[in-house]
Amino acid sequence: MSTETLTDDEGGTASRGLVDRVRASPFLSQLLSNRLALAGLAIIVAMLVIAVYARLTLDLDVISRSQLGTNPNRAAPSLEYPFGTDGQARALVPRVAYGAWYAMLFGTVTVGASTVLGVGLGIIAAYYGDITDNVIMRTMDVLLAFPSLLLALALVSIFPDELGLWRAVAALTLVYTPRFARVVRGAALTVLENEYIDATVALGATDPRVLVRHVLPNCLAPITVQSTLNFGLAIIDLAALSFLGFGASAGTPSWGLMLSNGVSQGLLTGVWWWSFFPGLFLALTVLGFNLLGDGMRDALDPRMREAVD
Amino acid sequence: MSLPPAVRERGRLVAGGAVVGSVATPVLVAGLVALGGFGPLAAAETAFAFGGLWFGLALLGWAGSVASGRAIEAAQEHLDADSGWTERRSRRAMARIGGFGAGMMLVAPVVGTAVG
Amino acid sequence: MFPKRFVLKRLLLLVPVLIGVATLVFSILHLSPGDPALTIAGERASQEFVERIRADLGLNDPIWVQYVDFLGNVVRFDFGESYVINRNTTVREIMANTLPVTLELALYGQLFGILFGIPLGVLSAVKQDTLTDHTTRVGALAGISVPIFWSGPLLILLFAQVLGVLPTSGRISSTFSVSPIRVTGMVTIDTLLAGEWDMFKSAVRHMLLPSLVIGVYSMALISRMMRSSMLEVVRQDYMRTARAKGQGAKITVLKHGFRNALIPVVTIIGIQFGGLLGGAVLTETVFAIGGIGTLLVEAIEVGDYPIVQGTVLTFAFLFTLVNLVVDITYSYLDPRIQQ
Repeated sequence: MSTETLTDDEGGTASRGLVDRVRASPFLSQLLSNRLALAGLAIIVAMLVIAVYARLTLDLDVISRSQLGTNPNRAAPSLEYPFGTDGQARALVPRVAYGAWYAMLFGTVTVGASTVLGVGLGIIAAYYGDITDNVIMRTMDVLLAFPSLLLALALVSIFPDELGLWRAVAALTLVYTPRFARVVRGAALTVLENEYIDATVALGATDPRVLVRHVLPNCLAPITVQSTLNFGLAIIDLAALSFLGFGASAGTPSWGLMLSNGVSQGLLTGVWWWSFFPGLFLALTVLGFNLLGDGMRDALDPRMREAVD
Repeated sequence: MSLPPAVRERGRLVAGGAVVGSVATPVLVAGLVALGGFGPLAAAETAFAFGGLWFGLALLGWAGSVASGRAIEAAQEHLDADSGWTERRSRRAMARIGGFGAGMMLVAPVVGTAVG
Repeated sequence: MFPKRFVLKRLLLLVPVLIGVATLVFSILHLSPGDPALTIAGERASQEFVERIRADLGLNDPIWVQYVDFLGNVVRFDFGESYVINRNTTVREIMANTLPVTLELALYGQLFGILFGIPLGVLSAVKQDTLTDHTTRVGALAGISVPIFWSGPLLILLFAQVLGVLPTSGRISSTFSVSPIRVTGMVTIDTLLAGEWDMFKSAVRHMLLPSLVIGVYSMALISRMMRSSMLEVVRQDYMRTARAKGQGAKITVLKHGFRNALIPVVTIIGIQFGGLLGGAVLTETVFAIGGIGTLLVEAIEVGDYPIVQGTVLTFAFLFTLVNLVVDITYSYLDPRIQQ
């Protein structure tokens, strides 16, 4: 059904080739027939559009600065201020929109950095095996055993305060790296068992070349699934660290900080919109990544596809 | 002196790690002084804390493998999701890492006292 | 029958676990920037005052001497007194007051997660690919996606501010000036033991929202694991055999599948307890419940190292202990595990 929509939209020979390729790939066709995964993708795309639009059109200085005197203070949502205004009379719509940019930016950096680190460690462990493998993977195992938020809290204190949100990014990168290392090592081992790698080595390919040219491309699917699933977690954990006071500095329009403000100042006075809107966007974004990631995992794992009897 | 072979083997793993750790310590201290702008004593203290990270990690990993290694192996078998993880290999790796950390923690005070 | 040696072995393993965590905490604190003496004295303190504190704390000793002293203190669970948060109070005393608060929250949350998560997972598996299954799965995904620091405030606003049926924050109504006899430190249990019905009711009303918020998360995880584990078991051959014998499909699933499917779920419950402690940090902050979680966050923020050390070690101890209980349950469910 979804593949038909694709043809309708684009037409022409070029896209016909694409459609055929999609049909031929069990992973993509499985994924595209999963309506929940598509819904997740739609949410992510919408958030990306909001994020980029906010980054390009809004002035960070203006939306971070107090607007007392210009706007009504603590105004409830209205036509003029759809999400209301906060205790500094700042309109919440641009702040929440800019929060999407922060979530996407810092989420991407966190997931990107841990992917690179994890892929490096995982492939090295799989390729060299024996002691290297054991030392790397067992260290990863121990790190994996720690609860992620508590480990992040412990690691955050290593980095200096001045780093702001980057401090949270650094801590979470270390927390997520083992997950990628484990997945990549498993995938790389499967690839390495194939005989053609032996043949390539016999033909005189040097180590890094084998790893980059042959092992890495074959690990891309599991890496993508893992990145998607962890993207949601990264966004929620980044917000949690900001919420607890480790991350964005006061005034920054990050969702975690807005929620923290909503709880510490809006709760007893019943100012619900301070918590509601930033949290809604945060939860939707995370749900989007989780839906897509779940769909991808099901599409990748044939055991999940096969129905009972 | 006749130790059971298992103990001797474990001792060898720890000792092997410790040798690497002891050799690495002066190198790390020298590196911190030369490149990091550390004082000699501060560098030795940092090396000690660094060794402590590995030693602590290995102790946790070793205890974790012994405590729930069999359960993890069984769960993997049960779920048919074998990742090649075995309790034995995990314990051996942890003995090496722990030896490395302990080696650093033992040599760092010596280096620190000598240079500090 | 009861595996005594098994339990003893696991209890002995607590020793390396705690030394390991203690060493890690010690190393991390030493590698992180900041001078504890300066933190206690305050930025504007005189040089001599800072020096005196440094000497008092043994910070002038080389790090290896400090480490040995520290290990000795860990064995006695003596981390000295709090620097900043609660001056002149021992860390042990502070722990005794805050730990039960977090335990109570985690217990009710876990209970909620197990009571609802397991039946939902089974239901989802039995009705695989029906509307019920899809609803449960999306619900579980939503449960994982919604942050505690959003669902918590919204529930407070709805039930406390709009409907006015439940209290906003805290553990018990402030109208009760006298606290009940302290037995466990958990208000819902202490008030019950004391036979103070009104106080008990107030404590339960305060506990409802926090345990719901934290429990939804474990419910979501448990039901997902239960579902996939159940489907896995159903797929196995002997289940097909059982079905071939002519029993009804659903009864087969319930009778034979359940116990086997529970095995990996039990492991998840143990591992996930750590996540529950992380969730407790957030829940306590939202509901203004002064437990060990908020204490840890505050201590990291202001650099109150004795409290950080005490809290982290207590967390590690709890985590290991819970996993010990899980292992025992596990060996009971799957006797192949114990040799």
